[in-house]
Amino acid sequence: MRSSPIRTGSYASLVVTVALLAQGDLKAQSGTATTHLMITAELQSSISLVFNNSPSVGSPGFCPLSNAGTNNVGLDLGAASYTGGDTLSCVNWAQLTGNYYQVSSAFEVVVTAANTNSPSYQLAAEISTAPPANVIWLVNNTTLTNTGFTTLDAADSYGTPVTKTLQVQVRRGVAAQTLSETITFQATAN
Amino acid sequence: MKVHDIVRSLRWLALVPALLFPLSARGQLTASGTINATLINRNGIALVFNSDPSGVSLGGGGSSAASLNFGTIAAYGTLSSGVTRTNVGTSSFTVQTFFDIEVTQGGLNSNSYTLSARLAAAAPTGLGYGVDGVTLTTTAQNIQTNGTYNTNVQHSLSLVVSTAAPGAGGPTVGSPLTTTLNFTATSN
Repeated sequence: MRSSPIRTGSYASLVVTVALLAQGDLKAQSGTATTHLMITAELQSSISLVFNNSPSVGSPGFCPLSNAGTNNVGLDLGAASYTGGDTLSCVNWAQLTGNYYQVSSAFEVVVTAANTNSPSYQLAAEISTAPPANVIWLVNNTTLTNTGFTTLDAADSYGTPVTKTLQVQVRRGVAAQTLSETITFQATAN
Repeated sequence: MKVHDIVRSLRWLALVPALLFPLSARGQLTASGTINATLINRNGIALVFNSDPSGVSLGGGGSSAASLNFGTIAAYGTLSSGVTRTNVGTSSFTVQTFFDIEVTQGGLNSNSYTLSARLAAAAPTGLGYGVDGVTLTTTAQNIQTNGTYNTNVQHSLSLVVSTAAPGAGGPTVGSPLTTTLNFTATSN
Protein backbone atom coordinates (compact mmCIF):
# COMPACT_ATOMS: atom_id res chain seq x y z
CA MET A 1 0.00 0.00 0.00
CA ARG A 2 1.65 3.22 -1.03
CA SER A 3 1.19 6.37 0.94
CA SER A 4 0.51 9.80 -0.39
CA PRO A 5 -0.31 13.10 1.22
CA ILE A 6 -3.95 12.22 0.90
CA ARG A 7 -3.94 8.49 1.38
CA THR A 8 -2.14 8.65 4.65
CA GLY A 9 -1.43 5.36 6.27
CA SER A 10 -4.45 3.29 6.96
CA TYR A 11 -6.47 6.20 8.19
CA ALA A 12 -8.72 8.17 5.99
CA SER A 13 -7.26 11.59 6.35
CA LEU A 14 -9.83 13.78 4.80
CA VAL A 15 -13.51 13.42 5.07
CA VAL A 16 -15.32 15.78 2.83
CA THR A 17 -18.93 16.38 3.06
CA VAL A 18 -20.30 18.24 0.15
CA ALA A 19 -23.71 19.57 0.26
CA LEU A 20 -25.04 20.56 -3.04
CA LEU A 21 -28.08 22.61 -2.54
CA ALA A 22 -29.76 24.65 -5.13
CA GLN A 23 -30.57 28.00 -3.76
CA GLY A 24 -32.43 30.62 -5.43
CA ASP A 25 -35.69 31.87 -6.44
CA LEU A 26 -37.75 29.00 -7.66
CA LYS A 27 -40.05 31.35 -9.31
CA ALA A 28 -39.04 31.72 -12.85
CA GLN A 29 -38.62 35.22 -13.94
CA SER A 30 -38.87 36.32 -17.44
CA GLY A 31 -35.69 35.43 -19.34
CA THR A 32 -33.42 34.77 -16.36
CA ALA A 33 -32.86 32.07 -13.79
CA THR A 34 -30.40 32.66 -10.94
CA THR A 35 -29.09 29.77 -8.83
CA HIS A 36 -26.42 29.41 -6.19
CA LEU A 37 -24.38 26.33 -5.32
CA MET A 38 -23.32 26.02 -1.72
CA ILE A 39 -20.40 23.70 -1.05
CA THR A 40 -19.48 22.55 2.44
CA ALA A 41 -16.34 20.62 3.28
CA GLU A 42 -15.31 19.25 6.62
CA LEU A 43 -11.56 19.03 7.07
CA GLN A 44 -10.34 16.43 9.47
CA SER A 45 -7.03 16.20 11.22
CA SER A 46 -4.89 13.31 10.11
CA ILE A 47 -1.57 11.65 10.74
CA SER A 48 0.35 9.11 8.72
CA LEU A 49 3.04 6.57 9.46
CA VAL A 50 5.64 5.18 7.09
CA PHE A 51 8.73 3.04 7.47
CA ASN A 52 11.99 4.14 5.89
CA ASN A 53 15.38 2.56 5.49
CA SER A 54 18.05 3.88 7.80
CA PRO A 55 20.78 6.00 6.21
CA SER A 56 23.08 3.17 7.30
CA VAL A 57 21.11 0.56 5.39
CA GLY A 58 23.23 -2.33 4.24
CA SER A 59 25.74 -2.10 7.05
CA PRO A 60 25.54 -4.51 9.97
CA GLY A 61 22.37 -3.90 11.94
CA PHE A 62 20.52 -2.13 9.15
CA CYS A 63 18.81 -4.45 6.69
CA PRO A 64 16.86 -3.01 3.78
CA LEU A 65 13.09 -2.88 3.99
CA SER A 66 11.12 -4.04 1.02
CA ASN A 67 8.57 -1.46 -0.07
CA ALA A 68 10.32 1.18 2.06
CA GLY A 69 8.60 4.52 2.27
CA THR A 70 5.21 2.99 2.82
CA ASN A 71 3.25 1.78 5.81
CA ASN A 72 3.45 -1.87 4.77
CA VAL A 73 7.00 -3.13 4.47
CA GLY A 74 8.90 -6.38 4.62
CA LEU A 75 12.02 -7.21 6.59
CA ASP A 76 14.07 -10.29 5.83
CA LEU A 77 16.26 -11.32 8.75
CA GLY A 78 17.87 -14.21 6.92
CA ALA A 79 18.62 -17.60 8.38
CA ALA A 80 20.34 -17.87 11.72
CA SER A 81 21.31 -20.40 14.32
CA TYR A 82 22.61 -20.39 17.85
CA THR A 83 25.98 -21.63 16.71
CA GLY A 84 26.47 -20.21 13.27
CA GLY A 85 25.43 -16.57 13.11
CA ASP A 86 23.20 -15.23 10.36
CA THR A 87 23.36 -15.63 6.62
CA LEU A 88 22.82 -11.90 6.05
CA SER A 89 25.64 -9.51 6.78
CA CYS A 90 23.16 -6.71 7.43
CA VAL A 91 21.77 -8.55 10.44
CA ASN A 92 23.29 -8.05 13.84
CA TRP A 93 23.73 -11.46 15.44
CA ALA A 94 24.84 -12.15 18.98
CA GLN A 95 24.74 -14.85 21.59
CA LEU A 96 23.07 -13.73 24.78
CA THR A 97 23.16 -15.05 28.29
CA GLY A 98 20.59 -17.69 29.04
CA ASN A 99 21.40 -19.67 25.92
CA TYR A 100 19.66 -17.25 23.58
CA TYR A 101 20.83 -15.77 20.35
CA GLN A 102 19.53 -12.54 18.96
CA VAL A 103 19.20 -11.08 15.51
CA SER A 104 18.33 -7.44 15.06
CA SER A 105 17.93 -4.79 12.41
CA ALA A 106 17.05 -1.12 12.65
CA PHE A 107 14.86 1.08 10.49
CA GLU A 108 13.12 4.41 10.74
CA VAL A 109 9.55 5.30 11.58
CA VAL A 110 8.28 8.64 10.35
CA VAL A 111 4.95 10.02 11.48
CA THR A 112 3.61 13.17 9.93
CA ALA A 113 0.62 15.22 10.87
CA ALA A 114 -1.68 17.60 9.05
CA ASN A 115 -4.32 19.96 10.25
CA THR A 116 -3.86 19.24 13.88
CA ASN A 117 -2.58 21.02 16.94
CA SER A 118 -1.27 17.79 18.34
CA PRO A 119 2.25 18.47 19.63
CA SER A 120 3.47 14.88 19.51
CA TYR A 121 2.40 11.31 19.15
CA GLN A 122 2.60 8.10 21.07
CA LEU A 123 4.10 5.08 19.33
CA ALA A 124 3.09 1.54 20.14
CA ALA A 125 3.47 -1.86 18.53
CA GLU A 126 2.13 -5.38 18.70
CA ILE A 127 2.83 -8.67 16.99
CA SER A 128 0.25 -10.61 15.06
CA THR A 129 0.55 -14.06 16.60
CA ALA A 130 1.93 -15.62 19.73
CA PRO A 131 5.51 -16.72 19.01
CA PRO A 132 6.71 -20.26 19.76
CA ALA A 133 8.02 -20.95 23.23
CA ASN A 134 11.41 -19.38 23.90
CA VAL A 135 11.11 -16.97 21.01
CA ILE A 136 10.80 -13.27 21.85
CA TRP A 137 10.10 -10.36 19.52
CA LEU A 138 11.17 -6.96 20.75
CA VAL A 139 11.52 -3.39 19.57
CA ASN A 140 14.25 -1.39 21.25
CA ASN A 141 14.45 -4.02 24.00
CA THR A 142 10.71 -3.83 24.71
CA THR A 143 8.97 -7.17 24.40
CA LEU A 144 5.96 -7.23 22.10
CA THR A 145 2.86 -9.34 22.55
CA ASN A 146 -0.13 -10.26 20.44
CA THR A 147 -2.56 -9.36 23.19
CA GLY A 148 -2.38 -5.61 22.79
CA PHE A 149 -0.23 -2.69 21.83
CA THR A 150 2.87 -2.06 23.86
CA THR A 151 3.91 1.55 24.16
CA LEU A 152 7.33 2.25 22.75
CA ASP A 153 7.45 6.05 23.02
CA ALA A 154 5.16 8.46 24.84
CA ALA A 155 5.87 11.64 22.91
CA ASP A 156 7.70 11.51 19.61
CA SER A 157 7.96 14.48 17.30
CA TYR A 158 6.14 14.60 14.00
CA GLY A 159 8.22 14.55 10.90
CA THR A 160 11.35 13.40 12.66
CA PRO A 161 12.62 9.90 11.81
CA VAL A 162 12.68 7.68 14.84
CA THR A 163 15.08 4.77 14.67
CA LYS A 164 13.63 1.52 15.90
CA THR A 165 15.43 -1.79 16.19
CA LEU A 166 13.52 -4.99 15.71
CA GLN A 167 15.01 -7.86 17.68
CA VAL A 168 14.25 -11.56 17.67
CA GLN A 169 15.63 -13.65 20.50
CA VAL A 170 15.67 -17.40 20.07
CA ARG A 171 16.68 -19.88 22.72
CA ARG A 172 19.21 -22.57 21.89
CA GLY A 173 16.75 -25.46 22.02
CA VAL A 174 14.15 -24.00 19.67
CA ALA A 175 13.68 -26.38 16.76
CA ALA A 176 14.56 -25.27 13.27
CA GLN A 177 11.63 -23.44 11.73
CA THR A 178 10.61 -20.24 10.03
CA LEU A 179 9.64 -17.51 12.46
CA SER A 180 7.37 -14.86 11.00
CA GLU A 181 5.44 -12.02 12.51
CA THR A 182 3.50 -9.06 11.27
CA ILE A 183 4.38 -6.22 13.59
CA THR A 184 1.84 -3.42 13.65
CA PHE A 185 3.04 -0.01 14.69
CA GLN A 186 0.44 2.49 15.77
CA ALA A 187 0.92 6.20 16.20
CA THR A 188 -1.65 8.02 18.31
CA ALA A 189 -1.74 11.79 18.44
CA ASN A 190 -1.26 13.32 21.86
CA MET B 1 -43.95 28.64 4.51
CA LYS B 2 -42.74 29.09 1.01
CA VAL B 3 -40.81 26.41 -0.81
CA HIS B 4 -37.58 28.38 -0.89
CA ASP B 5 -37.78 28.92 2.84
CA ILE B 6 -37.96 25.17 3.33
CA VAL B 7 -34.94 24.65 1.09
CA ARG B 8 -32.99 27.29 2.99
CA SER B 9 -33.72 25.50 6.26
CA LEU B 10 -32.64 22.14 4.89
CA ARG B 11 -29.39 23.70 3.69
CA TRP B 12 -28.27 24.41 7.25
CA LEU B 13 -29.12 20.89 8.34
CA ALA B 14 -26.13 19.76 6.29
CA LEU B 15 -23.85 21.42 8.80
CA VAL B 16 -25.38 19.78 11.84
CA PRO B 17 -23.14 16.68 11.95
CA ALA B 18 -20.01 18.77 11.93
CA LEU B 19 -21.30 20.98 14.67
CA LEU B 20 -22.53 18.22 16.89
CA PHE B 21 -19.63 15.82 16.47
CA PRO B 22 -16.27 17.56 16.47
CA LEU B 23 -13.17 15.43 15.82
CA SER B 24 -12.33 14.82 19.46
CA ALA B 25 -15.66 13.20 20.03
CA ARG B 26 -15.29 10.85 17.10
CA GLY B 27 -12.17 8.98 18.26
CA GLN B 28 -8.42 9.31 18.57
CA LEU B 29 -6.27 10.40 15.71
CA THR B 30 -4.20 7.40 14.72
CA ALA B 31 -2.08 6.01 11.94
CA SER B 32 -0.63 2.57 11.66
CA GLY B 33 1.80 0.55 9.62
CA THR B 34 2.95 -3.02 9.48
CA ILE B 35 6.27 -4.79 9.15
CA ASN B 36 6.24 -8.33 7.87
CA ALA B 37 9.38 -9.83 9.37
CA THR B 38 10.78 -13.28 8.80
CA LEU B 39 13.65 -15.16 10.42
CA ILE B 40 14.59 -18.71 9.53
CA ASN B 41 15.80 -20.40 12.68
CA ARG B 42 18.28 -23.11 11.78
CA ASN B 43 19.84 -25.80 13.87
CA GLY B 44 23.57 -26.10 14.14
CA ILE B 45 26.53 -27.44 16.04
CA ALA B 46 29.83 -25.70 16.63
CA LEU B 47 33.19 -26.66 18.08
CA VAL B 48 35.83 -24.36 19.50
CA PHE B 49 39.21 -24.99 21.08
CA ASN B 50 40.05 -23.36 24.37
CA SER B 51 43.22 -23.30 26.40
CA ASP B 52 43.23 -25.64 29.34
CA PRO B 53 44.65 -24.38 32.64
CA SER B 54 46.92 -27.40 32.72
CA GLY B 55 48.18 -27.08 29.16
CA VAL B 56 49.94 -24.68 26.88
CA SER B 57 48.18 -21.54 25.81
CA LEU B 58 46.53 -21.97 22.43
CA GLY B 59 46.88 -19.57 19.59
CA GLY B 60 43.45 -18.61 18.34
CA GLY B 61 41.78 -20.00 21.43
CA GLY B 62 38.02 -19.68 21.37
CA SER B 63 37.87 -20.41 17.68
CA SER B 64 37.54 -23.49 15.55
CA ALA B 65 40.99 -22.99 14.03
CA ALA B 66 43.50 -22.86 16.84
CA SER B 67 47.18 -23.68 17.11
CA LEU B 68 49.08 -25.49 19.81
CA ASN B 69 52.81 -25.10 20.15
CA PHE B 70 54.74 -27.60 22.25
CA GLY B 71 57.74 -25.36 22.00
CA THR B 72 61.16 -26.95 21.98
CA ILE B 73 61.02 -30.57 22.98
CA ALA B 74 63.71 -33.11 23.73
CA ALA B 75 64.06 -36.39 25.50
CA TYR B 76 65.93 -34.61 28.22
CA GLY B 77 66.02 -31.08 29.43
CA THR B 78 63.52 -28.37 30.16
CA LEU B 79 60.13 -28.23 28.47
CA SER B 80 57.75 -25.35 28.01
CA SER B 81 55.23 -24.56 30.68
CA GLY B 82 52.20 -26.80 30.34
CA VAL B 83 54.16 -29.55 28.60
CA THR B 84 55.11 -32.71 30.43
CA ARG B 85 57.26 -35.65 29.43
CA THR B 86 55.35 -38.78 30.24
CA ASN B 87 57.64 -41.47 28.97
CA VAL B 88 61.26 -41.75 27.94
CA GLY B 89 62.08 -45.13 26.48
CA THR B 90 64.86 -46.60 24.51
CA SER B 91 63.22 -45.91 21.16
CA SER B 92 60.96 -42.96 21.85
CA PHE B 93 59.82 -40.39 24.34
CA THR B 94 56.42 -38.82 24.79
CA VAL B 95 55.47 -35.26 25.59
CA GLN B 96 51.95 -34.29 26.52
CA THR B 97 49.79 -31.24 27.05
CA PHE B 98 46.12 -30.49 27.50
CA PHE B 99 43.58 -28.49 25.60
CA ASP B 100 39.82 -28.02 25.89
CA ILE B 101 37.06 -28.49 23.37
CA GLU B 102 33.68 -26.86 23.78
CA VAL B 103 30.83 -27.98 21.59
CA THR B 104 27.57 -26.06 21.40
CA GLN B 105 24.39 -26.83 19.57
CA GLY B 106 21.14 -25.06 18.84
CA GLY B 107 17.85 -26.34 17.52
CA LEU B 108 18.84 -29.99 17.82
CA ASN B 109 17.13 -32.61 19.91
CA SER B 110 20.45 -33.89 21.17
CA ASN B 111 21.92 -34.24 24.62
CA SER B 112 25.45 -35.28 23.73
CA TYR B 113 27.90 -35.54 20.90
CA THR B 114 30.56 -37.83 19.53
CA LEU B 115 34.00 -36.40 18.98
CA SER B 116 36.34 -37.82 16.38
CA ALA B 117 39.78 -36.78 15.22
CA ARG B 118 42.26 -37.57 12.46
CA LEU B 119 45.50 -36.35 11.03
CA ALA B 120 44.98 -34.03 8.10
CA ALA B 121 48.02 -35.65 6.45
CA ALA B 122 50.51 -38.30 7.37
CA ALA B 123 52.58 -37.33 10.38
CA PRO B 124 56.20 -36.31 9.85
CA THR B 125 58.68 -39.12 10.06
CA GLY B 126 59.39 -40.22 13.58
CA LEU B 127 56.37 -38.52 15.15
CA GLY B 128 53.12 -39.98 16.36
CA TYR B 129 50.09 -38.11 17.69
CA GLY B 130 47.48 -39.22 20.12
CA VAL B 131 44.42 -37.67 21.75
CA ASP B 132 43.13 -39.11 25.00
CA GLY B 133 45.22 -42.20 24.38
CA VAL B 134 43.91 -42.81 20.88
CA THR B 135 46.69 -42.91 18.30
CA LEU B 136 45.66 -40.79 15.38
CA THR B 137 45.86 -41.70 11.72
CA THR B 138 44.50 -40.02 8.63
CA THR B 139 41.27 -41.93 9.20
CA ALA B 140 38.87 -40.40 11.71
CA GLN B 141 38.61 -42.21 15.01
CA ASN B 142 36.25 -41.63 17.88
CA ILE B 143 37.78 -39.85 20.82
CA GLN B 144 34.63 -39.44 22.88
CA THR B 145 31.11 -40.72 22.36
CA ASN B 146 29.19 -38.86 25.06
CA GLY B 147 30.48 -35.32 25.05
CA THR B 148 28.55 -32.75 27.03
CA TYR B 149 27.47 -29.58 25.26
CA ASN B 150 28.31 -26.08 26.38
CA THR B 151 31.19 -26.92 28.63
CA ASN B 152 34.92 -27.20 28.24
CA VAL B 153 35.99 -30.81 28.01
CA GLN B 154 39.65 -31.44 28.71
CA HIS B 155 41.59 -33.57 26.25
CA SER B 156 45.18 -34.67 26.31
CA LEU B 157 47.43 -34.40 23.30
CA SER B 158 50.43 -36.65 23.27
CA LEU B 159 53.33 -36.55 20.89
CA VAL B 160 55.43 -39.65 20.60
CA VAL B 161 58.89 -38.83 19.29
CA SER B 162 61.30 -41.38 17.96
CA THR B 163 64.75 -41.17 19.45
CA ALA B 164 66.31 -42.43 16.25
CA ALA B 165 68.68 -40.15 14.46
CA PRO B 166 67.50 -38.00 11.54
CA GLY B 167 67.64 -40.03 8.36
CA ALA B 168 67.50 -43.25 10.35
CA GLY B 169 63.81 -43.13 11.19
CA GLY B 170 64.02 -40.20 13.54
CA PRO B 171 62.37 -36.82 13.00
CA THR B 172 64.11 -33.76 11.66
CA VAL B 173 66.01 -31.86 14.31
CA GLY B 174 66.24 -28.13 14.70
CA SER B 175 63.29 -27.05 12.57
CA PRO B 176 59.58 -26.74 13.32
CA LEU B 177 57.51 -29.84 12.77
CA THR B 178 53.91 -29.01 11.99
CA THR B 179 50.93 -31.28 11.82
CA THR B 180 47.24 -30.47 11.48
CA LEU B 181 44.64 -32.43 13.41
CA ASN B 182 41.00 -32.32 12.33
CA PHE B 183 38.28 -32.73 14.95
CA THR B 184 34.63 -33.39 14.23
CA ALA B 185 31.71 -33.26 16.66
CA THR B 186 28.56 -35.10 15.65
CA SER B 187 25.33 -34.76 17.59
CA ASN B 188 23.99 -37.98 19.10
